[in-house]
Amino acid sequence: MSSTIFIVDDSATILMSMEVILTKAGFVVAKAASGEEAVSRLQAGLKPGLIITDIHMQTMSGIDLIRKVRTMPGLQFVPILVVTTESQQSKRDEARAAKATGWLVKPVQPTDLMRVVKQILPNG
Amino acid sequence: MRPLDSRGPDLRAAPAPAALETTRPTAVLIAVVVLSAVLAAVGTRVGMPAGTIGGAATAGLVTGLSVLLGYVMGRRHGAYPGRIHQLMIRIAEELAQYRAFTRLLRDQGTRITETTGDAARMIVTGLCDMDAKVALVVARIEADLPGPAGDPLQRMAVAIGDAVVDMVGQVQFQDITRQQLAFLSRLSHVVDAHMIDLAGQLGDPRSLDRGGDLWSLDRVAKFKGMFAQALADCVMTSQRDDHHVASGLDRKEPVAPKIELF
Repeated sequence: MSSTIFIVDDSATILMSMEVILTKAGFVVAKAASGEEAVSRLQAGLKPGLIITDIHMQTMSGIDLIRKVRTMPGLQFVPILVVTTESQQSKRDEARAAKATGWLVKPVQPTDLMRVVKQILPNG
Repeated sequence: MRPLDSRGPDLRAAPAPAALETTRPTAVLIAVVVLSAVLAAVGTRVGMPAGTIGGAATAGLVTGLSVLLGYVMGRRHGAYPGRIHQLMIRIAEELAQYRAFTRLLRDQGTRITETTGDAARMIVTGLCDMDAKVALVVARIEADLPGPAGDPLQRMAVAIGDAVVDMVGQVQFQDITRQQLAFLSRLSHVVDAHMIDLAGQLGDPRSLDRGGDLWSLDRVAKFKGMFAQALADCVMTSQRDDHHVASGLDRKEPVAPKIELF
């Protein structure tokens, strides 16, 4: 069974384009347009194989989302990729400290995204 | 907030009444000087001790003469108190009204974001349709031309499908544009707060009510603070590089790898 990849981004365009890219590669995709929505879906029982999140979102930032996910039962070790326009090293360090798995700067070429996703989910 | 065209008196079109400005303060000051001189004389003649009427009158005489001298010298250098006051009110009003312009800029930015967002989603939808059709073509080739005969056609169809996915990835430009416009919007809020602050300092009492949802004025009270705020709001390397150029710094942001697994 294919892993579910959970995309969290407040940009409808990003959600749509990533969904197309990942679905075409055979993954099941779930989406959330905010950190809060992501948390409630995870609390409702969604068990993704990988979470891809933006950093700059309204109210709950991607870093806060990672911190929250790491406290949720069964999700402490789920890989989380940050995909963002943010390039500052200090933010990257924050994400690393929050136990993110990796960092990709937008725009991400589909081939690069798939290379990283397949590295994280080799059996996906 | 008052409409933009309500700006109070236009000083260029209707200059301050020169006769009134010249005559009234001058006459008053001359009267003060004359009165002081008379009081000084009376005080001396009735033999009042220094420090009472005579002393006070003498002090008034000196003060009056000083003020008169200062006023005349100010006039020679074009300093008209009434006109300066009017000008300050006008500047305060116009500073406060800059919010209308910055809001217009923000609204346009929002429209650009909406328009490009709609267009980007339409493009993705169209590309998805194309990709679905390419998948049908691949399936048809497999069915109708099995084996090596169909391989070249299949490779072509798959290449088209890959190109379509690449184009879907390019649509991320819209999110980057959206964030750049959001950055401009945040900068305009900083400028707004500063304008309102300046208007308040120039005596526009309404500026006190105009803070509204603006950021704390304390944070942007000085240009240095405003610029530091702008740098803190940058999210992209290119924005920080632009900030350094605007600051007159010969500096480039270090470029971190675009992909990093921790």
